Formats: sequence, structure tokens, C-alpha cells
Amino acid sequence: MISGIHTINILLPIFYFVTLVAYFYDFLKAEKKLVNAKRVFLFITLFLHLIYIVLRTIAFDHPPITNVFEIFTILAITISFSYFLVELVSDIRGTGPFIIILPLIFQLISSLFIQDLTEVKEVLRSNLLGIHVISALLGYSGFTISAVYGFLYLVLYKDIKLNKFGLIFNRLPNLEVLERLSLYSAVIGFIALTIAIIIGVIWLPIAFPHFSYLDPKLVGSTLVWLLYAGGITSKVMGKWRGKKLVILSISGFIVAIISTILSNFLAQSFHSFY
Amino acid sequence: MNLIAISINHRTAPVDLREAVYLKEDEIRPFINFAKENQIKEGLVLSTCNRTEIFGIPNSNETSHEKFQSLLLNFKSSQNITENHFQKYVSRDAIRHLFCVATGIDSLLIGDNQVFKQVKDSFQIAEETHFAGYIMHRIFDSAIRTGKRAISETSINEGAVTVSYAAVQLTEKIFSNLSKKSALVIGAGETGEIAAKHLSEKGIGSLAVTNRTQEKAENLAQKLNAKVIPFTLFKESIHKFDIIISATSSPEILVNKDDVKAALKKRSNNPMILMDIAVPRDIDPETRKIDYVFYHDLDSLNIIVEQNLSKRKSEIPKVEKIIEEELENLWEWYNSLQAAPAIKDLRDFFEEIRNEEVEKNKNKFAAEDQEKLDIVTKRIINKILHHPTIELRKADDSASASDSATKIGIIRDLFGISPNKKSEKN
Repeated sequence: MISGIHTINILLPIFYFVTLVAYFYDFLKAEKKLVNAKRVFLFITLFLHLIYIVLRTIAFDHPPITNVFEIFTILAITISFSYFLVELVSDIRGTGPFIIILPLIFQLISSLFIQDLTEVKEVLRSNLLGIHVISALLGYSGFTISAVYGFLYLVLYKDIKLNKFGLIFNRLPNLEVLERLSLYSAVIGFIALTIAIIIGVIWLPIAFPHFSYLDPKLVGSTLVWLLYAGGITSKVMGKWRGKKLVILSISGFIVAIISTILSNFLAQSFHSFY
Repeated sequence: MNLIAISINHRTAPVDLREAVYLKEDEIRPFINFAKENQIKEGLVLSTCNRTEIFGIPNSNETSHEKFQSLLLNFKSSQNITENHFQKYVSRDAIRHLFCVATGIDSLLIGDNQVFKQVKDSFQIAEETHFAGYIMHRIFDSAIRTGKRAISETSINEGAVTVSYAAVQLTEKIFSNLSKKSALVIGAGETGEIAAKHLSEKGIGSLAVTNRTQEKAENLAQKLNAKVIPFTLFKESIHKFDIIISATSSPEILVNKDDVKAALKKRSNNPMILMDIAVPRDIDPETRKIDYVFYHDLDSLNIIVEQNLSKRKSEIPKVEKIIEEELENLWEWYNSLQAAPAIKDLRDFFEEIRNEEVEKNKNKFAAEDQEKLDIVTKRIINKILHHPTIELRKADDSASASDSATKIGIIRDLFGISPNKKSEKN
């Protein structure tokens, strides 16, 4: 089983790369015959990735959520699965290459550095930890996709204003759709992060004797949560829309990235396991 | 195939001459009757603002293009048109030309959607007037299939190629659902009317028209089920509209930057699209600098039109390939309408049935009768096929190839004997 896991670990970045090439080719050429081919590539990659996660969980007796490189592979599958659903439900073409590149990067880093850990701290085998981490990852996947759609909105907005009617103009969906996709992804991410924070606040003080509310990861996540809460509220109240809203989404994503880097790699706390 | 075609179009004649021979809908039927009286057995007449085309199979092989031209010129009595204003086609080239017209690659606006519908309409008229015979039916079916394939297999008709349509397509790149949006068209002239029609066809939620002459605005509004806003008051209501298309002949700016800023404030920064397709411009181009305002004028819309036209041009080779494939199929069918192979196929078809039945039933007969059974059944088949064989040979010898082809075609259809598959009874 271990050799199978190692083989899939090498294959996954290759599969994501091939899928990205298929999406990028479709973006450039928009050939009617290739519409479904790229989806098949993505489906096969997702299926292989799911097998990989299941095999790792069985072989190493814990879900792959105990260190940053295991988390990256989960992040890759959650982003690509979310996008797969978005594409199936909305039938929107043209945004795939900008999303698929993210799972490729995450999986490539994961495949290069992931280790076969059989010994992990007892606290990391908890079911509550599983729900906490997976909901936090879903939250950050939602924010990532929201930021990508927000970025595409800004590019298309600028192109239309400046009369640039090139590939971006021809292939991307319209501005309202991009804004909506960015908002929906942010709302889903926000709900998932809220669940992660609630579980964290209830469970962490019990599980960790050195728990502190001033933990950098906790402060960072709360800041991100507040940013998205503010943005979503102002949208619901009709105060903010379009450009302002997507800029907020991109800012939230940047804050999330910075806070994750700072809290994981620079600050030492009970919340860091690697 | 003695199909003859003449075409006067945007490449061969200026607009005044094209107009001179243009056959209105109520003129086409009398013209077809006139053609039938003048030895044109079956055919098709297509007349649009850019082209008048006559396709026909004459009764006599002696009939030439000149006969077709004189028929048209006698009917429309135009003096300035000469022979040079016509393109002439015969046989396979005539069919290829019809396919080129149906797919839109022969149009002034390459990939024009309208012409495909116009070809269908003209065939409808040919059917109603009994001008479409057996061969024209088959040619028409192939032309329609070619047109459909060009639309579904290539991008020949994709993208806006007129300014007013480009304006509407651009709005679709900003708003997702036009049925929830409102639009105001300023100016009820030809350009404004076309833009308003496009918006209406795209299912715009609400449409309003304003024009300096109120009556013209009312006429257009009535046609499109739109509201009318008095010209003197329209500025006060521009904040109510998501899309504003302006196409007046006003020499001065009608909507300035401050008007748009004020409107946007009232709309709580809900995006506004301003399409200025007037010359000189009606809307201050400085409005393009305002956030959430998408201002576009003729220059920017022309960029879209030019891009789409060049993309359509690049699709022509793909369409030509489809045309050649369909032409080849049709030609194969037409070649099968020769008497000698048709007689042989017919006889083989009957012989196959006879032989099968004899084999199946011969055991029911005594051994000495089995040979007689074979002889008798052969005699029956020969007697049944005697008259049809004579008739087919006669038709082949007659002056009209189309008569012969029609008879052979009907026999092949009736018995299901296609040239590639001798018998379809199984």
C-alpha cells in the first residue's frame, strides 16, 4: 500500500498539470468539441486524489491534517472539488485555469515535502480536531476561490473600461456572474470558518493546557472572520457592491495568507504542530 | 445536372441596381409563374436587399443564363443592368454557390444569420408555387443541412458584426440577466430602432424610448411594447435605467458628466452602461472615468465588430470543407440517377426477393416441379419489370435530363434502392 501511496503522490501533480493544460487550451481555443474533455480530466484527477487521501488515512492511521504538507494536499482537493461543483452547477466556462493552478501549486509542494508519519501526537487523533481543521480548510478554500473570482472581476472590469476586448473579455463570464461567484464562495468560506472558530473556542481550551486567546492563529482567523463578516453584511444591506466588494474579498484573502504564514512559521504557540 | 443559376449581389452591382431588380415578397410568386411559363421547370428565387438569385432547371438543355437574365430584366424592366452585373453558375458550381449563400460565407456581413432564414423562406415559396420539384427538394435539403452544420460545427455566425448588436452584446458582458434590467433608447431613428429591437429580442426587462419628435418615439414604443419618456424630461429619469443607448443626430452633448454622476448617486452606485452610437456623440466621453459607469462609443464598439469579422473570416475554410463534403454527397446521389445502373439495381432487387422466396419454399414442391417454380417466378418478375424498364430507357433518351432523374429517383426511393446499398428491404 505504501508504494501505491508514493506512486500516486508523484502522479498527482502530473495529473493536476495535465488538467491545467486542458483547461488552459480550452481557454485559448474555445473549441466546442473539447468542452467536456477537460471536465473528464478534472474528474479523473479528483478521483485519484480521493483514493490517495483514503489510502494515506488507512496506512498512517490518521487523516492527513497533522502538518502543513498534509494540509496542502487537503487544500488542493477541496479547492478543485469546490471548483468542479461550481462548474457543474453554473456551467460557467473560462475561469478554470485561474483556479486549477492553485491545487497544482499546493499539491506540488505537498508531494515534494510530505512524509510518511505514523507517529503523531495523541491530541491530533481527535475527531473534533478533524472537524475543526476540515471546516477551517473549507473556509480558506472558499476565500481562495472568492479572491480568484474577485481578481478576475477586476481584470475584466478594467478591460471593459479600457476597451480591451481580448481573450479575457471573450472567455470570462460577465461581471455580475463573477461578482456573484466571488460572493457565494466567500459566504461558504465564512460559514465554514465560523464553524471552525466555534469548535476551536470550545475544544482548544480543553485539549491544550497552554491555550491562549492571544494565540496568533486565533487572532489572525478572527481578523479574517471580521473582514468577511463586514463585507457580507454591507452587501446584504446593499451598501457595497461590485468593485468595492471584490477588493474586500481579495484583501481578506491576503490577510488570511499573511496571518497563516506568521502564525505557522514565525510565531511559536500551542497552535503549531510542526 | 443542368441546374442554372444567376446572381446579382453586393460584389457585382451597386445598391441602386440591386434595388432595381429586388423582388418583393408579393412579386416573387408572379415571377415564378412567369418563369414557369417560360420553360423553367423547377427552381428557387431568392431576393434580399443584398442579392437576387435565380436557380432553375430548364425544360430544354438549350436554355442558357441569358434566358434567365432576360426573364428577370423583362419582369423588373431595369435598363442600366448589363450582363456584367450577373454572376453565372451551372451544374455543380450552382449548387456550391447556393451552399455558400446558405452558410453566409457569400454575404456582405460574413456569417449573416438572416440569409439562412431567407433561403428557407424562398424554398417555402417555391414549394407553395409548385416550383420545387424532386431534384430541387433534394438540393434544398442539402443546402439546409450544410447551413445547420456550418452553424453548429464552426463559429461562422458568432459574435456581433454590427455596431448596434455589439452594443447589446457588450451589455451581456456586464449584466447577467437582461430581463431584470431596464434600458432607455435616446433617438428613434434607424440606428436607435435597431438597437431597441436587439434589446427587446434579448428580453430586456423594461424598455423606454425618448425622441425629440414625440410621435416617432410613440411609433417605435408601440412596435416594441416600450414606454415613452418626453424628450424634455428624460435627463431627470436616467438614474432609473441600467442601460442607456443614445443614437440621435443632435449636434451637441445631451448627457454630461454631472448628469451621470448625479444619476449614479441616486442609484447607490449600481452600474450603468452608456452606449453612445451617435455621430457626433450625445454623451460626454469623460463619463468613462466614473467608477461603475461603462461608457462606450462608436470607436470602441467598432473594435468588437472588427475582431468578430476577422474571426468569422478565419472560419471560412472550415465552412468550405463542410460545403465540399455535402456537395460530394449530393453529387453521388445525383449520379445514381442514371438509367442503366438504376435498371440493373432494380432488377437485382427483385431477383434477390424472388430467389429468397424460392429457396425458402421449394421444399414444399416435388423435386420435378422445383425447376418449373424457378422458371415461372423468373417469368413473373420479368413481366412486372418489363414496362418500368422500357419507361426508364425512354426517359433516359428524352431531352430533359431532369425528367429522367426524377423518374429514377422516385423508383429508387419507392423501393429503397440506394446506389451504395442496393436493397434496403432487410
